[in-house]
Amino acid sequence: MTKYIIKRILLMFLTLFIITTMCFVLIKLLPLPAVREMGRDINLVLAKREKMGYNRPIMVQYFLYVKNILVDWDWGVGEQLYEGLGIWDIMMQKLPYTVTVNLYSILLSIPLGIGLGIYAALKKNKWQDALISTLVMVFISVPSYVYAFLVQYFLCFKLGWFPLQAASLSQAGSLFSTKMFVSMIPAVLSLSFGVIAGFTRYTRAELSEVLTGDYMLLARTKGLTKAQAISRHALRNAMVVILPMIMGEFIGILGGSLIIENIFGIPGIGNLYINSINVRDYNFFMALTIFYTLIGLVSGIVIDVSYGLIDPRIRMGSKK
Amino acid sequence: MKKILSVMLALVMVLSAVSALAEAFTPAASYDPGERTFDGGVITLVPAAGGSANSVTSDVYAGIEGKDYTDEKVYTYYDYIGGLTSQSNWDPLSWETKDDDSIRSMQVSSFYAFKLNSDKTGYSIVPEMAAEYPVDVTAEYAGQYGVKEGEEAKAWRIALRQDITWDDGTPINADDFVYSMQQQLNPKMLNRRADSWYDGDFSIVNAKNYLYAGKETYDAIPEAAEDLIAAGTEVFLDMDFWGVTGAPDAEGNVAPQYVSIADDTMYRDAAVEDENADEAWVSAKYIYDNYLAAGAPYNSYADQYLKVKNVGAVVGWDDVGFKKIDDYTLDFILEKPVNEPAFYVPYQLSDFLVKKDLYESCKSFFKDGAPVATEEEADEVTTNYCKSLETNASYGPYVLTTFQLDKEWAVSRNENWFGYKDGNHLGQYQMDNYVATVIVDHSTQMLAFEKGELDGVSLQNADMEKYAASQYIRYTPQSYTTKLTFNTDYSKLLGRGTGSQILVIDEFRKGFSFALDANDFATSYTAAGTAGYGMLNYQYCYNPFTGELYRDSEAAKKALVNLFEMSYGEGGEYASLDEAYEAMTGYDMEKAQELMKVAADKAIEAQIWDGESEIVLEIRVYNSDDIYVQMYNYFQQQLAEAVKGSKLEGKISMKLTVDADYYETNYSGGADMIFTTWGGAAMAPFGILAQCYTDASDGSGKQMEYGYDTTKIMMTLDFGGEIGQITDSLRNWTLWTNSATTEVPNIYTALGSFSDYAYSTRCEVLAATEQCFMNWFTTTSLYYRNVASLVSQKGDYAVDNYLTIIGFGGLEFYTFNYDDAEWAEYIANNQLVY
Repeated sequence: MTKYIIKRILLMFLTLFIITTMCFVLIKLLPLPAVREMGRDINLVLAKREKMGYNRPIMVQYFLYVKNILVDWDWGVGEQLYEGLGIWDIMMQKLPYTVTVNLYSILLSIPLGIGLGIYAALKKNKWQDALISTLVMVFISVPSYVYAFLVQYFLCFKLGWFPLQAASLSQAGSLFSTKMFVSMIPAVLSLSFGVIAGFTRYTRAELSEVLTGDYMLLARTKGLTKAQAISRHALRNAMVVILPMIMGEFIGILGGSLIIENIFGIPGIGNLYINSINVRDYNFFMALTIFYTLIGLVSGIVIDVSYGLIDPRIRMGSKK
Repeated sequence: MKKILSVMLALVMVLSAVSALAEAFTPAASYDPGERTFDGGVITLVPAAGGSANSVTSDVYAGIEGKDYTDEKVYTYYDYIGGLTSQSNWDPLSWETKDDDSIRSMQVSSFYAFKLNSDKTGYSIVPEMAAEYPVDVTAEYAGQYGVKEGEEAKAWRIALRQDITWDDGTPINADDFVYSMQQQLNPKMLNRRADSWYDGDFSIVNAKNYLYAGKETYDAIPEAAEDLIAAGTEVFLDMDFWGVTGAPDAEGNVAPQYVSIADDTMYRDAAVEDENADEAWVSAKYIYDNYLAAGAPYNSYADQYLKVKNVGAVVGWDDVGFKKIDDYTLDFILEKPVNEPAFYVPYQLSDFLVKKDLYESCKSFFKDGAPVATEEEADEVTTNYCKSLETNASYGPYVLTTFQLDKEWAVSRNENWFGYKDGNHLGQYQMDNYVATVIVDHSTQMLAFEKGELDGVSLQNADMEKYAASQYIRYTPQSYTTKLTFNTDYSKLLGRGTGSQILVIDEFRKGFSFALDANDFATSYTAAGTAGYGMLNYQYCYNPFTGELYRDSEAAKKALVNLFEMSYGEGGEYASLDEAYEAMTGYDMEKAQELMKVAADKAIEAQIWDGESEIVLEIRVYNSDDIYVQMYNYFQQQLAEAVKGSKLEGKISMKLTVDADYYETNYSGGADMIFTTWGGAAMAPFGILAQCYTDASDGSGKQMEYGYDTTKIMMTLDFGGEIGQITDSLRNWTLWTNSATTEVPNIYTALGSFSDYAYSTRCEVLAATEQCFMNWFTTTSLYYRNVASLVSQKGDYAVDNYLTIIGFGGLEFYTFNYDDAEWAEYIANNQLVY
């Protein structure tokens, strides 16, 4: 197992290097953003770009870029976005917001989603199951920004239960204060509806299948109560599919949600990637590409390894 | 028999195919629109008034009589920022965006302030950080800094107040200004706003040389490359032209971006796969000789890709025309005299003050990209001054108290600001705090406003139905005009293979333009835009002393009435010029249909269209917002109507393409038509044509009308008397109106400087150039931009109607109807209705 994990990690770095190299070369092949502003000296910008090394051969730029990251942890500065500010600093300022709001959402979604899924599976083909399944279809089909508008209009504007926008640090004191938490509830709710529905659907489907297994009958005949059989055998087997889904959601929280962040004024990382591509800010694009690629690759490894932890029959790297 | 029939059938098919091939239409390889000369009519020459004929007023509105502006209550204005990532740098030396400026402007004072005048009809100019109005001291510098004996208005002395301080109470004197200017022009920093001091009408002597001292710059060729070569000047090729910047030579050395066209070092072009194939190895000399030289296929790109090398003169700080005379007196020595100094010296003196100790502590030093310890050993210096709360300093009426990136910033009263104590600001600055929150989503902005959490909100098209009649609505005109711009480069259009080369026919574009009703367009597709017909809108003021607006002048009205071929006066369609102007819509479908018939015939005659092929005109827009689709549908519908009865009927259509880079696509000649917008210099209308409408027809400058070469458009103006008629290119006329002198010898020799003439004369010349530019309908105006917004019941601006330069009076004259506590109580108990 250890050997397998080491091998996967080494392969991960190789993949990351290849993707990073390709992205760097491809984005550098694009023309530089235009510098046209009435009454301003274009040479000032061009000279600045010269100093930033934009006119050097691409592979030289790439070498320096990688070297600066590895040696000085210097990810460069923004040119089109947040001009002159450090890329790493900006990302680190914005990431906690995205992580916090998504974390709240997952902490709400997992127990609710799994709980409703178990309940629906146990009440399979009864009215409770039909109701939950119908709601699940509705919440999965409707995009989260629609909930966001509804939540904002009814809960924040009409009823006044929550503020329209997430609080600023000056208002809330800290990211983890009660005031901040309350101000994030509308965003958390908007993010959660779809996730809860997803967990409910998968849990119901898996558990329904497991509950009909022969070993469940065996467990009951051995004298286990229904609750014992479900919790010790059925749920554990159902988790083989559900746990990687939970892992995936945890990894996804780093990505953020562009629309939810915009609607509720959360200064997160959600729209940074798209903005960096739109305005061709190379340093931001590269830093975020590396960041998201790494997240994807790490999550792949974590999910694969987690199978083995849940189900002893699955042993990664085993020769047999 | 079957065999014979089969053979005959095959024969018939072959013959048909051959005849079809023989008849296949091949459009002409080129198109010559012919000579284009515009008669700009008669210009009345009136010399500029000298002496103190033009002066500014200094009376300032004193606020509402009886209102207490200094009570103990707390007044906060809540605003929002509609976009992310735009507020990260309010350093006075390098700020860029309008949103950056909103933080900066709260925390600075200017040398002179433009304030609402006492009768609330316009502006007055009053000293702010300056103790008195600027004094012309040119005579003191005769023989120095390029100042000649007898010259005037080139050196200006500013006396400073002695009570200016930073927000922490540290006094400010002339040394701070000298230090700040040194940083502004610091060659190792390349601060973005350095050009304010060398690239306009207020250029300090040697400011540019100090900034670029000893540095090589590759600049546009000032004349034809052949002439430069003949004169012995070395010409360089931008290797990006061939995509071989950084390509290796045989010894592994990489190609720099600029290589002399005499250099025959061969570089490997990676785009050619076979190393032994033709052009697998190219040199700058080869590329120039074969592709860019006169007569070569890409000669039209020579201006864009050929450069001359200049080396900035090495000058010291003592050579720069910015002097400390004593602790509270500064001199600005300029390269050019300032015309109308009473207005333009205060207007062009921007603020540039930084706090020395903080600025120094915010610097980082690099050499070859690696950090070094001191500025002396560095080749690049960066700063994070005014990029966070910790690195902020203020010398204005407010000081930053909160800053959270992409979320919120706030300022509060700077108790150390001199203006609160000097007695010159009575009736101003009732506001104690200002809070700006980032709210990107428009519906959230509206909800926040309706809840009383914002004190103003911009409206969109969809909001107008609800709020158009509101008493709280305000219209803020902008200096921007949105137009439909056509590509008229025949080879580029031909290369697109969609038949869009018909756009080179003048009558076609004119017909298209006459098919569009600008009034209808502005009403239907914009929130607050008004129908636009010219390139310069109602914001442009041609006489800063009287506030007269260019668009309201007789000459400007005439230009548009003539452009749209409206007649007035005896026997005319309208009784007077004003009546004709008021009736203008730009729309005449009958005329459009006649023009389309002519256009179709002309296209067939010129062999650019066969009369049968389908033509598709593509309009590129920024995104797929519904409003763009509606605009496109309108164009398509109007075009279909315009071509009715012509040979184009049923054979032409439009296509909508979303292209986030549509400006760049246009600049490379890759678009048929796009929406274009320029503006931003409301007090300097005379330069805008040269700066962004006629500077380059090949996409290398700011001009968006690709293929419309204004150096080949001739304009004749009749000045009467001894001068008589003068004919020169439109480009040269616009350069002259932009203060060019010897660069346009034909005009300058006969007329002297543009500024030698009265504003009325300048206005007439500007109107002629504007009409001339639009005369071939390479662009057609659609609407003048305005912003509609709602103002809160919480307070009032000093004036309800927008005034040039000072808008509605600004926040300094804003008065509150409720303090913070009263407002909180009011909105808790009342539903706000707008």
